[in-house]
Amino acid sequence: MKVLMLGWEYPPHISGGLGTACEGLTTALARRGGIDIDFLVPQLYGEEQAPHMHLLGASGSDANQQAPARIGTPSHGGALSQAIASEPALSTDPILMAAIETIERASSVRIGTIEVPAMLKPYLDTSAYLELLRAGGFDEAAVVQRAQELPSPPRDGSRRSEHTHLLQEDFWAPSVEPAMEVHYGWDLFAEVARYAAAAAQRVRGRKYDIVHAHDWMTFPAGIEIAARAKAPLITHVHSLEYDRAAEGADREIVAVEREGLERATRVIAVSYYTRGLINRIHGTPLDKISVVHNGVYTRATVQAYTEQRESTGPVVLFLGRVTFQKGPEYFVQAAARVLEHVPDAKFVMAGSGDMLPRMRALVESLGIEDAFRFPGFVRGADLERTFSTADVYVMPSVSEPFGIAPLEAMSYDRPVIVSKQSGVSEVLRNALKVDFWDVDKMASQIVALLELPELRRVIVERAREEIRHIHWDAAAEKLIPIYQSVAA
Amino acid sequence: MPSVCFYFEVHQPYRLKPYGALQVGRDHEYFDSELNARVLRKVADKCYLPANDSMLRLIERTDNRFRISYAITGVAIEQMKQYAPEVMNSFVRLAKTGAVEFIAETYYHSLAALYDKDEYQAQIDLELDLIRSEFGQTPRVFRNTEFIYNDEIGQFIADLGFDAILIEGADDILDWRSPNFVYRVPERETRLLTKNYRLSDDIAFRFSNRAWREYPLTADKFAKWVHQHSGAGDVINLFMDYETFGEHQWKETGIFEFLEHLPDLLFTHPHWDILTPGQVIERYPALGELSFHRTVSWADEARDISAWRGNAMQQRALAEIYSLGADIKRRNNSHLLALWRRLQTSDHFYYMATKSASDAEVHDYFSPYEGPYDAFIHYMNVLKDLNRSVLGPLEERIPA
Repeated sequence: MKVLMLGWEYPPHISGGLGTACEGLTTALARRGGIDIDFLVPQLYGEEQAPHMHLLGASGSDANQQAPARIGTPSHGGALSQAIASEPALSTDPILMAAIETIERASSVRIGTIEVPAMLKPYLDTSAYLELLRAGGFDEAAVVQRAQELPSPPRDGSRRSEHTHLLQEDFWAPSVEPAMEVHYGWDLFAEVARYAAAAAQRVRGRKYDIVHAHDWMTFPAGIEIAARAKAPLITHVHSLEYDRAAEGADREIVAVEREGLERATRVIAVSYYTRGLINRIHGTPLDKISVVHNGVYTRATVQAYTEQRESTGPVVLFLGRVTFQKGPEYFVQAAARVLEHVPDAKFVMAGSGDMLPRMRALVESLGIEDAFRFPGFVRGADLERTFSTADVYVMPSVSEPFGIAPLEAMSYDRPVIVSKQSGVSEVLRNALKVDFWDVDKMASQIVALLELPELRRVIVERAREEIRHIHWDAAAEKLIPIYQSVAA
Repeated sequence: MPSVCFYFEVHQPYRLKPYGALQVGRDHEYFDSELNARVLRKVADKCYLPANDSMLRLIERTDNRFRISYAITGVAIEQMKQYAPEVMNSFVRLAKTGAVEFIAETYYHSLAALYDKDEYQAQIDLELDLIRSEFGQTPRVFRNTEFIYNDEIGQFIADLGFDAILIEGADDILDWRSPNFVYRVPERETRLLTKNYRLSDDIAFRFSNRAWREYPLTADKFAKWVHQHSGAGDVINLFMDYETFGEHQWKETGIFEFLEHLPDLLFTHPHWDILTPGQVIERYPALGELSFHRTVSWADEARDISAWRGNAMQQRALAEIYSLGADIKRRNNSHLLALWRRLQTSDHFYYMATKSASDAEVHDYFSPYEGPYDAFIHYMNVLKDLNRSVLGPLEERIPA
């Protein structure tokens, strides 16, 4: 069976869970055998490793043919970007690099801003920029003055302004032939449309049994290609605009989503939660939507970071974007209650996002700032250390299609509390579950996990056993019958 | 002349309410009386009342040749009197027929046998007093909580003067022996009646299972299976939860019709009759001693005590509740003593079990909580409050 998959990103260049999910799913499918996958993304960076399938860039290059294109130092290369470029873990992140580039150029040339909806919102926001700048020894006053020219964090549901990033012309120029370089435009919708056109062009003449499109950015491409190839279309929903913005959903994105759902032969949702949401918001009939839960990579070894712990009290961790969707304020409210019972508890809110300043203010107004730490966005080794040194991980999401972070925390042998408004709570047995708004119960669960070693021990031991079974293989097992029924 | 022996367990725990950490020190009402009332009324409507009606009718119709036995825990009787007194009245009517034998157990359906023998004996005495006063019988036969049993328990019960003990007919204990004979506690005269778990579970668990090869199970078919044991056993012990009738197996499955027809069909074979446990040991001699090399119960696939203390949470909770014993008894306060004992009911620990697959389904079916972790959290919070607010130094106690 020949399948064309349409993605938006592929590791290591990822901005969220979508790339990781695509990697896991395709790897598991390949292991099963009998399925030949072409995977198409807007752009390849040359560092992708996907021997299990044909990875295609819409810009015309294939991963298997293209010589690795190193991420170059931007032409205006400032001290900060040079410093970061020498750090491999950081320099592979195009969003981060682009953001830095923007700031550096802002101080000499201009601030390039484009209209980008929430989906492509990177993990950086204004305050994170400032932190980075301070770390890089930039003149803070000048930066703050500049920063005020930066668009403010989204407040309402309309289109969100975001900083120039990702595909900025002269940022990529040094390493790639200009003719090879494809820009999908400043406007995301233009990007999506051009991706659709380029993608269709790219695979013209190839025969596919199924076209499988991941999330709304690839839906127009999927519709176009499926129609031309006369192949059935599967649209795979990893998250909905509603999840990201609730009532403030961008209408244009919602329309693209709906078009993709309507034109699909079959829709796949990452959880029953998302399936219900698709049905409610878009009216897609339930029997048209299949559920394939995401899997996760299990870690072979638990890290040794625990030994490096300095904190005196037990540590409770929030790790994720500090945005409405992730429910950070419920974490803070629960923390205030926990502290009445466990006065030496420490709370870490790791991540950045538009609600971070409000969270800092809330923590201060509750008078619990001594118990709180805001390390900002963590990645790489810091991420591992953050997970490893926490006693409890809490994911109080208001609306979470799946939520892979709890599984990640579990792979570090951390006990987790997840909101019932998450897809992952449907598959986990060995986690504590709570309604995101029920901060009393959340606090009670945190206190119990901190005070009862037996509870921690039993949860962690059984969770270890459990995530071994939650594999991408299981996801592939469910996907194959769907392929077969659709292709038949 | 072989016999069938029916025994039914009737028990309802006092379930704890969801008791969060923030309630500790503020809330001294531990039980979910609304839930407990609701469950009891529901089970009364679905099982106790219609099943008691059926039993009474069968006894009258067969001229007392249909006979049954019950163990009804003290905590179940307390709640029946409080929430559904008509159920108690119908049990009293059954007691008056003369065809019903009451079996002793612990008043609180506890695991005291494994932790505190003085407390164990006290709870047995309480139950004996209750059965005497409610039903006018003094039980001679005993069964331990959830059929938890080993040689030590057997000898302890024998030394209390009981004539027989009902136990699980576990394969590894019986080995080559049949469950369909009477055995004896090692070095004692007290008899052992072993449950025929295949035939018992055909009714209790498999009756409505459409995936079962023998589905649907008719009274006719079941009577034939019993009759096949003619000449190869003295007694078929059918021991099960009373809730089998109408609650575990809904009315719609035809379980009451099955019950209605079973006695007559059993009697179609002229050699077979139906006896209570006390009558069984009068008629049939003990074949020999039956020794238990491990602690057995009737729960889960393993038929051991892992359902109540298989994980670290359960062990901690049990150790903690029994460690309070001396302190509680010193207070000499009957209310506090009853509270402590209600917290010993085995169901609390059963809800904390972390079992896999089919066992977990059964545990979930019975649990009022979202899972074992919540069950443990609520229980430990309650103990924390009991310790701090009730047992703590006077000046630290907070008035309720």
